[in-house]
Amino acid sequence: MIQVEHLVKRYGETCAVRDISFRVRDGEVIGFLGPNGAGKTTTMNILTGCLEATSGDVRIGGKHLEEDPLGIRRMVGYLPEQPPLYPDMTVAEYLTFVYALKKYKAPDSREAYLAKICGMAGLSEVTGRLIRNLSKGYRQRVGLAGALIGDPKVLILDEPTVGLDPKQIIEIRELIRELGKERTVILSSHILPEVQSICDRVLVINEGQIVADGTPRELSERMSGTPQLELTIEGDPAEVQTVLRAVPGVSQVEQVRQEGAKALYRVTSESDVRHAVFDALSQGSFAILSMKQLELSLEDIFLKLTDHAPEQAAERTKPSKKKKKRRLFGAKKHKEVDSDDSDLEA
Amino acid sequence: MTAIWKRDVHSFFHSPLGFVYLAAFFAIMNLYFFATCVMSQSSDLSAVFANMLVVLMFLMPLMTMRLFSEEYRQGTDRLLLTAPVSVWEIVLAKFLSAMTVIAAAMVGTIPWLIVIVIFGTPAWPSIIGTYVALLCASAVFAAIGAFLSALTESQLIAAVLSFAVFLGIYILDMLQYSLDSELLTTLFNWLSIYSRYSTFTSGIFSLGNLVYFLTLTALFLYFTVRAVERRRH
Repeated sequence: MIQVEHLVKRYGETCAVRDISFRVRDGEVIGFLGPNGAGKTTTMNILTGCLEATSGDVRIGGKHLEEDPLGIRRMVGYLPEQPPLYPDMTVAEYLTFVYALKKYKAPDSREAYLAKICGMAGLSEVTGRLIRNLSKGYRQRVGLAGALIGDPKVLILDEPTVGLDPKQIIEIRELIRELGKERTVILSSHILPEVQSICDRVLVINEGQIVADGTPRELSERMSGTPQLELTIEGDPAEVQTVLRAVPGVSQVEQVRQEGAKALYRVTSESDVRHAVFDALSQGSFAILSMKQLELSLEDIFLKLTDHAPEQAAERTKPSKKKKKRRLFGAKKHKEVDSDDSDLEA
Repeated sequence: MTAIWKRDVHSFFHSPLGFVYLAAFFAIMNLYFFATCVMSQSSDLSAVFANMLVVLMFLMPLMTMRLFSEEYRQGTDRLLLTAPVSVWEIVLAKFLSAMTVIAAAMVGTIPWLIVIVIFGTPAWPSIIGTYVALLCASAVFAAIGAFLSALTESQLIAAVLSFAVFLGIYILDMLQYSLDSELLTTLFNWLSIYSRYSTFTSGIFSLGNLVYFLTLTALFLYFTVRAVERRRH
């Protein structure tokens, strides 16, 4: 369905996308995963015709982007990160406008078609309201409804769940999963569980390059390194540490902090040692107040992925680049925390 | 294309801006009409129409500033650029929506004609010629305004730039009387929108002037298309 070959986008000196190639099969739901500024939005803007590539070749449904831009635009529905809405219109007016703008002729009447779209996007109750007065979640749905008009074979959604509350996130994800049954969908995200739960295949993009490509399962297998446990245990720290170190499989025990009789420990092991740790501690009658398996954050995954691809990393070992990368991840971390907080499903 | 045109006109007339805008225009123009025609009992509209272009010069930037800048700021240019319409269609639709507002303003001046028909003898050829010229001259302004709006995301910058350009053209017009150089005088006179326009209001219908206005409009619409396309790079 979609073929992208050697896509490059340069803005003056900076290179937003450097040589990206990938293919998307018909009906596949694919996720772009990467930190902000990785080139996800730029790639999507090029695919939808908002932006011209510096070089490279894009084919959608057998048509070349340069040769038949209007034909491609008819096939593609796009929801940018900030939904393109006119705040002074009502939902119904806006959707009618988009319908006319896309020059689409519905098989049944326009009214019936738009009612169907509203039903799909869960907008039936707000059609008469001004977009200005809608909540962020509803605006996102209006944007999505706009992208759905014209029955595009390809849907491109840029961070469709950013800024939504947990309930809305779950609803939008379900909607995307539903839509993905009949369409080819590309969505971008910087939340790993989101991509894992919706997508058939994930492309991890960093600094304008694809650093990994595979199904969520393949990716998490590749990414799952040494599991870590975080435990709060009551008892003498020295004794607890000795007991923990004696558990088979445990490679490292670290005391993070201590509050009165209890202390927080971080245990690194080669395999899942939760059962063994429980047995060992209960034999020594140390009370486990909490036990948590630490999941890899996006940051860890990226560090891992760049470790896995030394030849790519070698290309970018200029000191200035390194510095920039650090800052990028630093800024990322805050955002990550925010989105994880609001993400119940995760 | 009609979809974009309809949306723009609709949004203009559904916003307070549209009403304030037309109200200001009618208030000023009716004052002129009252002062120059009713008070002095003259059926000669040329003085009113000569001033109308200057009034439009001041009001025009406030209307054209939003044509593209607002779309950029709202991010809705993405919607237009990813729809199966060409950039030319987008630009023409926006330009025509501005011209629709101008046309609405002109329709509002029809009561003057009725007053003159009742109380005096209207000079029809001159009046019709003037309406045509007014439309063409404001088309130039609308095209320039659209172009400047397509350059920036800020409506304020678009408006200030348009004011500067329109006033600049106006000052060039006055410069031609105080210049020694024969060449510059002829050049400025040839370039001047206002002197070409006043030919019409004084009752002379000139095809050359009409072609000049239309060419200038087309040129700036082309620039607008290029400015919008540049955002793709």
